[in-house]
Amino acid sequence: MRVELDGLSKAWDGVVGADNITLDIADGDLVAFLGPSGCGKTTTLLMVAGIYKPTAGTISFDGVVVNEVAPKDRHVGMVFQSYALYPHMTVFGNISYPLRIQKVNKEEIRERVQKVADMMGIGHLLDRKIAQLSGGQQQRVSLGRALVKEPEVLLFDEPLSNLDARLRLTMRGEIKRIQEDLGITSIYVTHDQVEAMTMADKIAVMSEGVLQAYDLPEDLYDHPKTLFVAGFVGNPPMNFFDVEIMSSNGGFHAKSEAIDLALPDDRAQKAAVAKGNVVMGVRPEDVYLVDDTAPPSEGSTLSASIEVVEPLGREDLVGVTIGDVQLRVLVDKTKGARVGDNVELAFDLSKVQLFDPESEKSLLWK
Amino acid sequence: MTVSQAAPQSQAFKPKLMGGKKTGRRFAYAFLILSIVPILIGYTWLVIATLSTRTEGLLPRDAEGGIGGFTLRNWDFISDGAIWSAMFNSFLIAVAMVIGVGIASTSGGYALSRFKFPGRKAFLTGTLVLHAFKAEMLLIAIFFVLRWLGGIPLIGGYIGFNTVGGVALVMIALELPLGIWLMKGFFDALPWDMERAALIDGASRFRVWWQIMLPQVRPGIAALALFTFIAGWNAYLVPFTFTIGTKVTNMPVFLNQLISDTAPVNWNQVAAVGLFQMIPLIIFFLFTQELLLNIYAGGSKGT
Amino acid sequence: MTDKQGVTDLAKPRPGIPKQTRSSLRRRVRSNLSAYGFLLPTMVLVATFFIASGVILVVLSFTDLSSSNFTRPWNFIGFDNFSRLFSDPFFPKILRNTAFYVFTTLIFFNLGLALVLALVTTTIPRRIGFFFRLVWLLPRLTPSVIYILMWKRIGSGDPYGIFNQIAPGFLGASGGNLFLGGSPWTFVILTNGFVGASFGMIIFTSALLSIPEDLITAAKVDGAGTWRIIKDIKLPLIKWPLLFIATYQTLSLLTSFEYILLLTEGGPGLFTTEVWALTAYKRAFSSYFGNSQWAFGATWAIVLVAVALLLAVVYVKIFKFNELIEEPRIENL
Repeated sequence: MRVELDGLSKAWDGVVGADNITLDIADGDLVAFLGPSGCGKTTTLLMVAGIYKPTAGTISFDGVVVNEVAPKDRHVGMVFQSYALYPHMTVFGNISYPLRIQKVNKEEIRERVQKVADMMGIGHLLDRKIAQLSGGQQQRVSLGRALVKEPEVLLFDEPLSNLDARLRLTMRGEIKRIQEDLGITSIYVTHDQVEAMTMADKIAVMSEGVLQAYDLPEDLYDHPKTLFVAGFVGNPPMNFFDVEIMSSNGGFHAKSEAIDLALPDDRAQKAAVAKGNVVMGVRPEDVYLVDDTAPPSEGSTLSASIEVVEPLGREDLVGVTIGDVQLRVLVDKTKGARVGDNVELAFDLSKVQLFDPESEKSLLWK
Repeated sequence: MTVSQAAPQSQAFKPKLMGGKKTGRRFAYAFLILSIVPILIGYTWLVIATLSTRTEGLLPRDAEGGIGGFTLRNWDFISDGAIWSAMFNSFLIAVAMVIGVGIASTSGGYALSRFKFPGRKAFLTGTLVLHAFKAEMLLIAIFFVLRWLGGIPLIGGYIGFNTVGGVALVMIALELPLGIWLMKGFFDALPWDMERAALIDGASRFRVWWQIMLPQVRPGIAALALFTFIAGWNAYLVPFTFTIGTKVTNMPVFLNQLISDTAPVNWNQVAAVGLFQMIPLIIFFLFTQELLLNIYAGGSKGT
Repeated sequence: MTDKQGVTDLAKPRPGIPKQTRSSLRRRVRSNLSAYGFLLPTMVLVATFFIASGVILVVLSFTDLSSSNFTRPWNFIGFDNFSRLFSDPFFPKILRNTAFYVFTTLIFFNLGLALVLALVTTTIPRRIGFFFRLVWLLPRLTPSVIYILMWKRIGSGDPYGIFNQIAPGFLGASGGNLFLGGSPWTFVILTNGFVGASFGMIIFTSALLSIPEDLITAAKVDGAGTWRIIKDIKLPLIKWPLLFIATYQTLSLLTSFEYILLLTEGGPGLFTTEVWALTAYKRAFSSYFGNSQWAFGATWAIVLVAVALLLAVVYVKIFKFNELIEEPRIENL
């Protein structure tokens, strides 16, 4: 089922929960709503579910506006962060509940519940009470309950947040597999960008109720359209500094008191239209410590001193200062970065991002 | 090593701490015990009095004025039909209240807790005020309402002035603000996601209430039922005001008549009737303590 | 046509949203119907016994209805009842009594003792605290008639009085009837206070128990003693329950009279312990004055109801109870 949100807004007594959200979800796609807590992603999801009523805008399923359709008639299934299972029912009671409401005959209920439960790997737990299950099992029951009525849209509200890290990894894969197998259009709300990146066909990044970007996962990473997206997607986050773009010696330079870097022409030209000051963004993994093995190209290096070294295991996250500018750099552990060292940093300037400081929009990608 | 080093220090430190605490504790216990003395004295007297010919203070006296005079004669009333009729009326009032208050407050409390509708704030504030406000002030007017209800054909004979049904109806109304406030508190504590899930699963609001929400607030319903039953069982002012004659009398009114109508009053028999009336309460008191003390736990949320 | 126009006017259609306003309004009505459906039993009872009674009370206060003339049509006498009320020779006394009764019982028992009991029983071991709270609940559970009977025996004269027997001479206990002779007010306040304290005690207890243990531990680590913990941590954190109980019990005490009716009937003598609510009741229902003056009783009642409601409104405004009301998180479509 194709899901379209058009100018969807929600406000309570002047407090804006979601502001003019417009996006299209193709049939069978899994779209992640990604954003910090309180950014309006769950609000939007609940409007799609029919729990909240939009203040303005429309929600359409396959071109039909469903704003006024009650949740029970929307053919959606939903999985909650808190699982939202009915504690006074057994696993079977929970999964079969949507079918019992539809007055499906007993034989068929048994069959369908068994089938879904087996698919979720909880077929042997049907007679258990909810309180006797682990968190992972409870979330499977919750997913089973959402699936059993064969919904046309599946909604996930941070379904894995209450699980421990390892279980999260397994469930992530399972949810993705089931979703792909069944081909159900899905919306997946999460604040975990790894989850969004690995699972989603497209990601909608939200902040303060506003849709910041709606893109393919790789585009969000490589071609962020706003400063917020650039800073939010990617861990550790992108470094930003204010620079002025100047043309000299036939090329473009990004300059500030401490910085002087030669920008690649294609990127700099796009940015130069705006002239003057821009915000430059560089990901920590796009900066290197210069050593003898690979001499950097001209104009791409700066001297820096190391302030902090945080070992992450495979790599070190190194905090450096260049003049009054601070940035964080991912460095191979074998380089042996030490606090107080003065080093030469090389920037991969073909990946640099440039933003308008006023509108916070990318100067490179529209 | 570290342990043995630390030990002397903590020993030197402890006595002072413990000493201060002990005095505080002693003071607390002394205060608490002293505070319940009047309550205990009252009950002690009640029990002693029911089993003796007469009492002076807390001492049972026999005919000669010596200590003693044990008797079971005070309990003779048990063979009297009047008390069983009064007891039956008390029971009717209590059960009618449990049902009436139960239905109205579980549904009304749910609406106030979970629905958005015009007038909700006013309704909530109104319930809170009525809950505090002892509606006994309205009894004068309720007298006229009851007389009017009594004029309704067919059912009027059961719910009008001077009927057990009428008394029960008034008591239900008076108890309702408390019930609604309590149940609202219990519903408030339930997670929204569960209700949302049920709606998405295809349930109507009524079904959500009946199949999903009510089972979750069972402790609240039990506590409310218990308190309502007790309120009905103990009801004095309303039945005293709205009933005349023995047929519709309930236990507390019966007991008070025993005190005011007969002269001289047989205090020991009165005590026995009183204790007899308290049997169900004593049973509740012994077996449902948690429920009794947690009654307002749900209701106090958010206030 | 007019209907349709009215609907669109009301709902102010936004451009770009196709023809939803009409069905939206219809749905809004329907969804509210389900809310009102749940409230139906409540509304019927409230309408019959609170609203209708309130109206009747007001109307009654302008008549001269009594048990001697109720068979005739109601006779409206304007504000006569009100001027009679305010010129009643005992009016100032009753007013003073009521203020004294409400204030004293509230401060010493329903608020003060309730708070102390909650604080003390939550710092001692759980089970012991539970036991004492349970005993304190007894007066509330005891039928009023029996409860008052016990207090009468405690305070009655020689040779029956228990207090006289235990502590002769104390509190003026020298064989006399304490609750009628010696200090009737002491007994009026004690009987009401012993019932009233348990409500606040339970509310405060559950509020105190919900204070995170870490907070108390942190304060102890910071060097706070018992008194400081109470003053700086516990009391501020149970501010709302305290305000709630203060409000609630003021209204409750102002309008209740059952225990006084059973204990002293407002006596001994003329209006010694008579409070406003009791006056209203006695005027209307007791034939002590030869005739149940329903209308005059209603007048006393309606003035008290007005005062109580006014107080309630002030309280609700001052304590901003409205802000505590949570918005529902499911919306009706």
